[in-house]
Amino acid sequence: MIVVDNLVKGFGRHGEVHAVDHVSFTAPDGEITGLLGPNGAGKTTLLRMLATLVVPDAGRASVAGHDVVRERFDVRRRIGVLSDARGIYPRLTTRENIRYYGALHGLSGPSLESRVAALIDALGIADLADRRTQGFSQGERMKVAIARALVHDPDTILLDEPTNGLDIMSTRALRAMLRGLRDAGKCLLFSSHVMQEVTALCDRIVILHRGRIVAEGTAAELLARAGEASMEDAFVRLLGSGEGLVA
Amino acid sequence: MKHGNGSRLARIATVARKELVDMFRDHRSMLVVLVTAVAAGPLLLLLVLNLIASQLDRSRELTLPVAGIEHAPALAAFLLRQQVAIVPAPVDYERKLRDGDLDVVVEVDKDFAGDAAAGRAAKLRLLYDRSRDRARPAIEQADALLHAFAREWGQGRLLLRGVAPEVVSPLQIEARDFATPQSSGALVLGLLAYYALFAALMGAMAAALDGTAGERERGSLEPLLTTPTTPIELAIGKWFALCALDALVVAVTLGGFYLTLRFAPLPPVGIPFLFGLRQYAAFMAILAPVVLFSTAVLLYVGLRGRSVKEAQANLSVLLFAASMLPVAQMFMRRKDPEWLLSVPIAGQYALLARVLRGDALFFHEWLQALVVPALLALVALWLTARLLSKESVLAGR
Repeated sequence: MIVVDNLVKGFGRHGEVHAVDHVSFTAPDGEITGLLGPNGAGKTTLLRMLATLVVPDAGRASVAGHDVVRERFDVRRRIGVLSDARGIYPRLTTRENIRYYGALHGLSGPSLESRVAALIDALGIADLADRRTQGFSQGERMKVAIARALVHDPDTILLDEPTNGLDIMSTRALRAMLRGLRDAGKCLLFSSHVMQEVTALCDRIVILHRGRIVAEGTAAELLARAGEASMEDAFVRLLGSGEGLVA
Repeated sequence: MKHGNGSRLARIATVARKELVDMFRDHRSMLVVLVTAVAAGPLLLLLVLNLIASQLDRSRELTLPVAGIEHAPALAAFLLRQQVAIVPAPVDYERKLRDGDLDVVVEVDKDFAGDAAAGRAAKLRLLYDRSRDRARPAIEQADALLHAFAREWGQGRLLLRGVAPEVVSPLQIEARDFATPQSSGALVLGLLAYYALFAALMGAMAAALDGTAGERERGSLEPLLTTPTTPIELAIGKWFALCALDALVVAVTLGGFYLTLRFAPLPPVGIPFLFGLRQYAAFMAILAPVVLFSTAVLLYVGLRGRSVKEAQANLSVLLFAASMLPVAQMFMRRKDPEWLLSVPIAGQYALLARVLRGDALFFHEWLQALVVPALLALVALWLTARLLSKESVLAGR
């Protein structure tokens, strides 16, 4: 479970630009929570704070009961992160890239190898497994990065725009995989600026705009609140403008 | 701080192993290392040795072009006694001197015999171009020969007048040269010391840039920082890998020198080279602190760059300063001060030069030269770890 309580993060010399402005929400286990918002809404900064990469200016957040600042290494052991930057090592093979992260998480020997093999199988990248990742397409690189993030079978999974660059088949495969993880009782937090993406997958949706939460609930609740029939119209109404679509 | 799921050491080893695999697969960087450090050094050494050999040859068998030797039969007789081959100077000798086809020409004044008979100073002209380094031994030898001729002639005149030669040369100068065969060869071998030092400074540069600024540039640092690996573990793991690579580059570079000096068809320069296995081991020991220190500094400066290009620009300034230190020392005439041993790079250069001169290397000196580089390496590692835990390091590209 992820508990976010009044998180604040500013940038600029005196923190005058509020990237995340008093945000509170809870992402329970066994559910996929979607962070929806236009570009620059603060999604990446929020995920980075939960991934212990960025220290909040104020407020608290915990992942599986561990504070993201004071117990950052306890948090890191329990999370799998597909971050905004998802570079992989071009001179290592797919298998080596995934294995590296497994070893850093303390896995070794046959248990590591079987875990890596299982992920390669689940993501359908068996033909890429022993090729160096130099020259992989964006979708192929993304799959390697996802496998890498899941290698230690984390309870909490943070995904920053995971479907960016994936074709429709890969997107569907990924959705199926994430649903499988949810059904296994994991806590998934997923960010996207694509409404269809979020409605298709998420149990709960948190809409962020300019660092603040403007709405929160299930897709049906949000539709009802906005009084609109389509999620796209609901999104625009909840943001209070059409700018999110232009950005 | 204890982290379950694997130990600190295991994670450091994992990082180091991955970095090593990654850097050895970077064929282009490896090729650059191989060419600059490993091949260019021995090649340069062979070139310099051949140059010296050709200079020695030139000075050993001097053939002296003389214009108008018929005006000075006494000089001709003297030169023949000194086993100098006299050849008539070509007509266009001035042009040939300028073009570097001739090193030196003696021109005998046509009134030479008349002036000599009348007791006036007879005139000889020595023509040369001193700006040409290769001509210098020949010029100096011709100059010395002419002075010796003048001295012998003058002494003969004094004896004829019943004056002892000591009257006009009250000083007897005896020169004793303390240069051992090794120390006379040290000039060439200073080059070897410089090159070895250069290899230790540069050997890991490409790999360091790829593992730091490169990691930021391709966006692989951010995910790495979400693993349980602590910043100091990352820094140490990367540092170990760079140290191993750098030590290998130094070992191979020195190996190249060793094999060149031992097996290559060297010109008969007559310098007994003191670069055996003992010196090889001493070089490795002296350069070990440079390896520890330069790799840690490369790591820190590299990580400060958001892109490889930016880091490269920062590093080139640093490397220029570092490579100028030994050059400054080469031009320093006086004995090295005691504290110089504590200065990184300068201290190592002094010790390398000493080993090449055939002097003993003392453990306490080695230790003195180790302290500051080792401390700086620790500081650089600490700074690297601190930088890795800052948010600003996430900014890439």
